[in-house]
Amino acid sequence: MSRPSPLLLVLSVVVAAGTAHADPKQHRYVGIHPVPRAEGGGMCHIQAPHVHVYAAVEGRVQFRDHDGWQHFVGDPVAYGWDGPKVAYYGHHPVPVDVVVGDDHPDVEYCYLDGPHYHAWAPPAGLQLELRGGAYWYVGEFPKAYVEARPVYDPIDVVYQPIRYERPVIEVSVAPPRWYGAVVVAPTVVVAPPVVVAPPVRPAPPGHVHGGVGVEVHVPLPSVRVEVAVPTVQIGIGGGVIIGGGRGHGRGRGHDKGKHKHGRGHR
Amino acid sequence: MSAPTTAPRRGARVTVAMMALVAATALAACGKADKPAGGGTAAGDDALIAAWRKAGLEVSALTAVDGKPYSAQACRGGTVSGVDIVLCRYDSGEDAHAAEELGLATLGAATGASLAHGARLLVVADRRKTDPSGRTIDAILTAFRS
Repeated sequence: MSRPSPLLLVLSVVVAAGTAHADPKQHRYVGIHPVPRAEGGGMCHIQAPHVHVYAAVEGRVQFRDHDGWQHFVGDPVAYGWDGPKVAYYGHHPVPVDVVVGDDHPDVEYCYLDGPHYHAWAPPAGLQLELRGGAYWYVGEFPKAYVEARPVYDPIDVVYQPIRYERPVIEVSVAPPRWYGAVVVAPTVVVAPPVVVAPPVRPAPPGHVHGGVGVEVHVPLPSVRVEVAVPTVQIGIGGGVIIGGGRGHGRGRGHDKGKHKHGRGHR
Repeated sequence: MSAPTTAPRRGARVTVAMMALVAATALAACGKADKPAGGGTAAGDDALIAAWRKAGLEVSALTAVDGKPYSAQACRGGTVSGVDIVLCRYDSGEDAHAAEELGLATLGAATGASLAHGARLLVVADRRKTDPSGRTIDAILTAFRS
């Protein structure tokens, strides 16, 4: 039995390495989804089934499998989505087959607390009631929702460090049949950037200014973040109220009566 | 008597045969023009190209490409707003759907899609990374699926 020559072995390794490089793992997606920062960030707008060579952003909690394709169930606005958006409040079903437009029935669940967006409007019959500009789920949550909750419920942790504008929802208009967690978000105040034009300097006597000079200072937007320590209040009939609690600075949480939630929510 | 009449008849037959041949060739040529490589009609492709253009996309000339990687007799390829596309036709929708995986296998490291619609397969590959947000690919696929 003849031994392969060392040169052949080296060539084989090189070819194998080259093949591995040329054939990276494809990750399958269906519907819009966030693009990893390393790949440029933002949102991928492709609705139809498609592939990338990068893994899903927080795939464990933000995506659901649909026939072998990963479907994003998080809030696209948090990643810069500028397309159509619909406001929701609290947990609710996600009719994946309707969202992606195929004929394989697949209902998953969104575990985002409080006000958030999706890029789809709910189909009729999903028991989502429109109140105060947002959809609230007033149906029963099945066993599948309860069983999957330990896995998917931590999705809110993903959104905590993301600064974006959530929908403003009047919690007091929540449907009577709705039962969920009322979230009082910390207040985030974002001041608009200020453009300061330089004072016009008179030219010295006898001096002719031949060029046009523009000096514009564009300071970074100042962001005042008021983070409140969340507290949980259990109310009778009104669901669980997760409030902003004691705020640091002016962002004092309050969850009695009527209040707006969402703007500047983390 | 018969000899003189036979020659013209034979000539007439030859003329008729030639005319028939010309007509058949013309018909075949028309058929080919209306039936691009891989089967189907060109009208469908023309409608798709028109839909892409209507969506504001720039469509290059589509030229014949090897259909073997897609298990198609032949396909046509080009670019749509800088994104590579290959459009193949099959005898049936089942054949086109069965070829979706083959289309994905041709993408390599590129972002893309392989989608069957009817008896056609469209493979889209952003090999030059001209469409990082996927808006162009989405427009290409949306027009194809509608």
